[in-house]
Order: sequence, then C-alpha cells, then structure tokens
Amino acid sequence: MEPFRDDNELIAELRALRPEPSQEFSAELDERAAAGFPRRSSRPDSPLTAPIARLRELSPRRLAFSGGAVALATIAIATVVVANGGSKSDPGGYLSPLRPSERPSALSHSEHRDGNQGAAEQSSGTQYEAEPPVVGATSAPSAGTAASQVDTGPYASKAGNRNVERSAEMVLGAEPADVASDAAAVFDAVHAVDGIVLSSSVRGGAEGEAGASFDLLIPSAKLSDALAAFSAIDTVVTRHEATDDITAPTVRTGEQLRDSRARIDGLLVQLAGADSDEERAAVEAELRAERRHAAALRSEAAKLGRRANLSRVSLRIETGAAATPADENGANWGIDDALGDAGHILAIAAAVTIVGLAIVGPLALIALLAWLANRARVRRGRERALA
Amino acid sequence: MNRRPTRSKGVNGTLTATTEEAPREADLAFDRLYRSSRDDVYAYVASLVRDQAAAEEVTATAFERAYRKRCRFDPGRGEPRAWLFGIARNAALDELRRRGRQAELVADPADLVSTPAYESAEASERRLALAAGLARLEPRERELIALKFFAGLANAEIAAVVGVSESNAGTKLHRAVTKLREACDGAL
Repeated sequence: MEPFRDDNELIAELRALRPEPSQEFSAELDERAAAGFPRRSSRPDSPLTAPIARLRELSPRRLAFSGGAVALATIAIATVVVANGGSKSDPGGYLSPLRPSERPSALSHSEHRDGNQGAAEQSSGTQYEAEPPVVGATSAPSAGTAASQVDTGPYASKAGNRNVERSAEMVLGAEPADVASDAAAVFDAVHAVDGIVLSSSVRGGAEGEAGASFDLLIPSAKLSDALAAFSAIDTVVTRHEATDDITAPTVRTGEQLRDSRARIDGLLVQLAGADSDEERAAVEAELRAERRHAAALRSEAAKLGRRANLSRVSLRIETGAAATPADENGANWGIDDALGDAGHILAIAAAVTIVGLAIVGPLALIALLAWLANRARVRRGRERALA
Repeated sequence: MNRRPTRSKGVNGTLTATTEEAPREADLAFDRLYRSSRDDVYAYVASLVRDQAAAEEVTATAFERAYRKRCRFDPGRGEPRAWLFGIARNAALDELRRRGRQAELVADPADLVSTPAYESAEASERRLALAAGLARLEPRERELIALKFFAGLANAEIAAVVGVSESNAGTKLHRAVTKLREACDGAL
C-alpha cells in the first residue's frame, strides 16, 4: 500500500475522518436550541438557583450597573438611618436645620464667667457663700465632709464626679397681650425650681416693641426642669445650651486650700512654741499672710462651687417678627445652612461608605482570592487532563 | 461523508450588540453561531473525549454554557467561534477530569471512524492507518489537528482557544501534521 503522496492528500483524508454527530443527537440538540437550552440538571433547584442563574446570564456591564445601583441604594439608606439616629441622640441634629431651638450653641466662656462673677457679687451673703462646697469633691472622694456637702446640698448638681458649669439662652415668642402673663409664668417657674431672678425687664407696647428679658440663676440640678417649664410658657424661638467642665480648677483650688490649712496649723504650733517676741512676731506675720491666702482660696472655691451649682439662664420674650420660629417661615435658613447640611450629609455618606468598605472589603478580598485559587486549580486540572 | 468542513460564515458579528438590544440581537447571533458550529463543535469534542456518548453530552453542555453566557461575550476579546470552542474545550476537559477521578473509560477510536461500505480495501486500510496514527499522537497534538481539520478553525482562532500565540499555534500544528504523516507512513 502506498503512503500519502503529500500533506494535501493526508489532510484531505484527515478531513474525511471527521466525527459526525448522529441524526438523533443533532435533532435533539436543535430542539434544545429552539427551546433556549433548558437546564438538564438532575439536581433539585434550591431557592437561590434561579437568581444565581439570572445573575450569571447578565452581561458584565449590566452586572456593574446593578451592583452600583445596589451599593448606592445601600449607602443612601444607611446614610438616612445614621443621620436620623444622630439627630435623635443629638438634639441639634444637622438634619433638622429648621429647629434651631434644639441646637446647642456654645456661649462665650468669658461672657459666661463674667456673668457668674457678677452673680456672685449680687448674691453675696446668701447661703451659697457660707462654705466652699465643691472643693476636693472630684479628686478625693474620701475627702468626706466637703464631698458630702456637695452631694447633699440644695444645689448639688454634678453629673458623676465632674464639676460642670452649665448655661442656657432661650427666646420665647409671644403675642403682645401675652407678655405680662408670660413674664409672670417665668417668675413662677423660677421660684418653682428655687432659682434666682438676677434681673428682669418687662416692656409693654405694640408688636415688636413689647417683650421681656430675664437674667436668671437656676440650680444646675433643676436646669432641665426649668427649661422645660419655660418652653411650656409660649412658643420657643431659640434655645441654646452650653456646658463647661470646671473639674480641674476646682480640684486644684481644693488642694491648695488644704495645703494652706495645713500650713496655718503648722504655724499655730510654731507660734505656741515661740520662745521670743521676735520669733512670735515673725510667725504671726507669716500666719496672717497664710490666712489671707486661705481666704482667697476659699473665695475662689466658692465661686467655682457656684458656677457648678448654679446655671445662668438668659431668657427673653419677643413679639413681632423676632417671635417667629425659624422653622415656620424659613427666613433664617439660607444658602450657608443648606451648604452646611449638604456637607454634613456628604460626610455621613462618606463615613458610611468607608465603614461599608472596611466591612465588605476584606470579605470581598477573601472571596476574590478564593475564586482566583479555585480558577487556578480548575485550570491546572484541565491542563493535566489533556496531558 | 467526504464533506469538507467549511469555515463558518456570518457569525462574526457581536453576540451582545448593545446592552439595550442585547436579548434579541444576542439570541439571533447565538442562533447563527449554533447553526454554523454545531457539527464542528461535536467533531472537536469527539476527538478530545473519544467517546460518542460523552461527546454528545459534552457538546450539549458546551452549547448550554455558551447560551447562558451569550450576553457576557465580549467581541473585543476575540471571535465568537473561538469563544465557543474555548467553552467546548473546558467542558471536554472537565469531562476528562471527571473520568480521571472515576473509572478509566476505554474509548475505541474506531467507534468514531466510520468507513463507507463502497470504499476500496486499500482506501479503508489507509483510513484506519490514519486513525491509528491520530490515536498515537499526544492529546495536545490531536487537539490541534481536530481544531484545524475537523472544526475548520483558523490559526488565530486555534491560538485563542488553546492560549498560545498564532505563530506558535501554526508551528505546533505543522509539527503535529508531520508527526502524523510519519506515523501513517510507518504503518503503511
């Protein structure tokens, strides 16, 4: 038998060897093609089979669009949830720009302290001056007397062991005819919480002219009750609250006062044992100076105690345009507020995205690595199968 | 029986077209691809798995997989036939892996070679010698022969299917043909 003359003859013979499908198989495959290649899997379908199959059929572009839309929707929902949660925990939530009455706004500390000093001067001689009440209460819970005085005194107000100075500003809106009755209600509310009216002014007149203003000292422990009572008197236009932690100066003053007292005691002992007039005179002079120093420290401690125990409240009753809450006419809410709120919402969205990435990122990385490893394993297996 | 496998025509259009037209256009393009490639895919798969029943099963699986993925075909990454044969190759290799894990199947190459009754004894003998030579080739060489002469793929398409460069595919193919010829000459 002759071998192949050339490659063409070999190739022609080779093509004749081509395996052909049977007619039955071709017909069956054509039917399946016409039916859209229904699945032949004998495995029972799980509830996830159909969605996963649909996902696999999606083009990468559609898959990317769908994934992006789902991610955006998730971020939007999480942003709304976080923002709403924040506005609940924070009375001045940024998503409620039309409710400035609930937004805390720090008062000027210097203004605040000046005011308290003034208050101390006006109320000098009252029971609050009798004893430095808060000295040593924070850093030395075992200091006994001083601490118990603070905790059981009529104006004990500390949250935990901190000495916190609180202040508030409030503006109420009223009709001119209601100014007098509102002012009376303010007095009643102040007395109900054992507060002090440092100054008051009530003006009658037409809308915009009539009004009242009050400068009040309210026991810090009852400040919330007092503000709630004021809020119930008429429409709240604005309400600002501020806090200032004065624990450090309070503790420092208390320690200095204890040291001064110890030095006085030592000087008294020294005085009792003085042998000469010169020595006695020298010790007495030193004793006078130390007593002056101790008095100054007691005064400072008393001031700090008052600042912690009494909150200064500035309350005004307004009529006319100033009496309209911002959220009723929106006049006080402008571009700046809008930009601020938009910036805040974007910041929340960015934070949500970062947190989401921090959670999803590692999981996605693990899944990607697992997928790549599996793909490499399958490829190696396929190549080995052909070898 | 001596039908020369023809290169598919008219299936070089995209399977996906645009996203909006995707379902209809992709279905039509896939239908054209199926009709032009059905027998070619079977011939290629049969030469790989060397078992008629398995070849039918793998061919059906390959088309099923390709149909499910038709919207994900990216025309920028190659020809539709190369894409389809890539899927068929994976399905066939999966079948070979499965066989490797299970019992070793003994395939008879002669089952896949039909000899017309009217052929002369000499022609029949040459064909059997060719089939035997083909069976003695390395699987990778047999795959190249099948892709080229059974399925009718161009060298560029073969390169895309097996994952080598076009020139490399041509070189390997030439070596395989030479080896096959030597095997046949030795037998004859």
